[in-house]
Amino acid sequence: MSNLTSRQPWAQSSATFKLQLAIVSTIPSVIGLLFVILGNLDFSIGLIGVFLPIQVLTVAAFGWRKAKRRGLSDALLIFFTIFFSTLVLVLLLSVLGSVIFEGFKALSPHFLYENNRYVGTTTSLEYGGVGHAILGTLLIVLLTTIAAVPLGIAMAVYLTQSQSKMRGVVRTVTQSLAGLPSVVAGLFVLAIMQFTHIERSGFTGALALFPLMLPTVARVAEESLRLVPSDLRMAALALGAPNYKAFFQVILPAAKSGIITALLLGLARVVGETAPLILTINMNNTTNLNPFNGPIASLPTYVYSFLGSNYSSSQQRAWGAALVLLIVVGILFGSARILSRKKSLKTKPVKKAKK
Amino acid sequence: MMNATGTASTLSAENISVWFGERQVLQDVNLVFPANQVTALIGPSGCGKSTFLRTLNRMHELIPSAGLAGRVLLDGEDIYDPSMDAVDVRIKIGMVFQKPNPFPTMSIKENILSGLKLSGRKITDADELVETSLRRASIWNEVKDRLGDQALSLSGGQQQRLCIARSLAMNPEVLLMDEPCSALDPGSTRRIEETIQELSASMTIVIVTHNMQQAQRVSDQTAFFLADENTPGGVVEFGSTENVFNQPIDPRTNDYVNGHFG
Repeated sequence: MSNLTSRQPWAQSSATFKLQLAIVSTIPSVIGLLFVILGNLDFSIGLIGVFLPIQVLTVAAFGWRKAKRRGLSDALLIFFTIFFSTLVLVLLLSVLGSVIFEGFKALSPHFLYENNRYVGTTTSLEYGGVGHAILGTLLIVLLTTIAAVPLGIAMAVYLTQSQSKMRGVVRTVTQSLAGLPSVVAGLFVLAIMQFTHIERSGFTGALALFPLMLPTVARVAEESLRLVPSDLRMAALALGAPNYKAFFQVILPAAKSGIITALLLGLARVVGETAPLILTINMNNTTNLNPFNGPIASLPTYVYSFLGSNYSSSQQRAWGAALVLLIVVGILFGSARILSRKKSLKTKPVKKAKK
Repeated sequence: MMNATGTASTLSAENISVWFGERQVLQDVNLVFPANQVTALIGPSGCGKSTFLRTLNRMHELIPSAGLAGRVLLDGEDIYDPSMDAVDVRIKIGMVFQKPNPFPTMSIKENILSGLKLSGRKITDADELVETSLRRASIWNEVKDRLGDQALSLSGGQQQRLCIARSLAMNPEVLLMDEPCSALDPGSTRRIEETIQELSASMTIVIVTHNMQQAQRVSDQTAFFLADENTPGGVVEFGSTENVFNQPIDPRTNDYVNGHFG
């Protein structure tokens, strides 16, 4: 550390400056905490009513001393950046933390693979699990992905590579589709089902998720294809490539990491969707591996049905399922990233050159 | 091992006029590029010389608003004839761009072979083709031990020579170069100029350049392009490099080559 700073003259500061910085960054929070603890003040009121004003004033004074108006603006910008990012981080971590904390109580090996065939509302957590819901979620999301990802990428290709006048219309429709409330997507599919007398199954659930995933994939893929420099396309065409080869062998590989991000964001969009599934699938307590027939479980609907219960063991199951859902998403994301990295490494190894 | 395998062709442009939308940027350009000769296209920015270059291998038509009149003959055959496929034209007439543009997702070796793959031709002896192409672009010694590395790991000058090698692997009859040295240091520029001179033994070369000395060093003949304000550009003077630089007929050529404007 000291070695590094000795090579970074701009990072060195005087002792008085360090002291001032220490005072500015600790005193307001100490005063705020004193009010909360001794004055018996509510924490959020202490944070916003006591800490925040004092901190803003001290930061402003500190900045003013350093470089008048310029220093003041700088110091305030830095403070608010830190304050709000910390706030957001704390909020996110507390959501994550509560799911992990509550969910962990229900978690056990059998919880991951058993189904709920013999489980009632009061059954102890030693029996049953979410195995059937994990499989159901994976099957439904897989079906959605198979349809939405190729189609979304195809839309992105159309939006970036063609010169057609229809692009504006397609882009507007895609963007407004991205704002579609998921429950409406579910209702739409439900209406079709009632009209055509199609039975509820995993397939109809996937159908309801499809319009949610498609615009996300299309938009992110479009962005990433747009970032590929047109030089590369020109280079390929100048070498005598037909359009389709220039696209598949040059443009698409260059946009690969963005396309994978599109896939991941699309997955993230639908994997936790509850409302459309409540409307379009029948819940199931046993394992059903056929997404085209019969009731099928899924993690979000599992959470929904157990969280409303008055019994603590049922609520625990819901928290456990929520945690499992987070883990499943984590695994999906991680494996997609690793797969994409593996592929780009393929060209790396140096082949021995002929002397 | 310096095998001059290509058969050079004569390229000629007849009455080429070019439009972008309603705006005409070139008017009646007539130039002949004889086989195995190096022709330099010089002129101030915006006079249409790069645009003209792109009409010679049908890259011009990729711009949506582009328009064209006139003929471009490759050994007597019009490359804009309806029976001609743009892809076939570009295989015969290679192009090197102003900015180096190697394919970032491919290794050095794959970049060299990319032209054959992209145009759907068979690769018979990949290793030999890679070596020959890299040698002809005088970059072999620098990259022979790291052919599997990403193309973007090379320096700017090396990337440009890689792009030249990539075009050479296609064995083109004509090579078009659009200011190939404008982004490069003097050392890389010199090596590319040497490469150009060696290549002219096996192909016809047309090079756009802003560098007067470069035009004099590498070219056999020179065409001077000029566009007056709000009028389409055209060729003011065309002749042997010797004459264009030392005994120009048109006073505007004289002013330009001696650095009085542009």
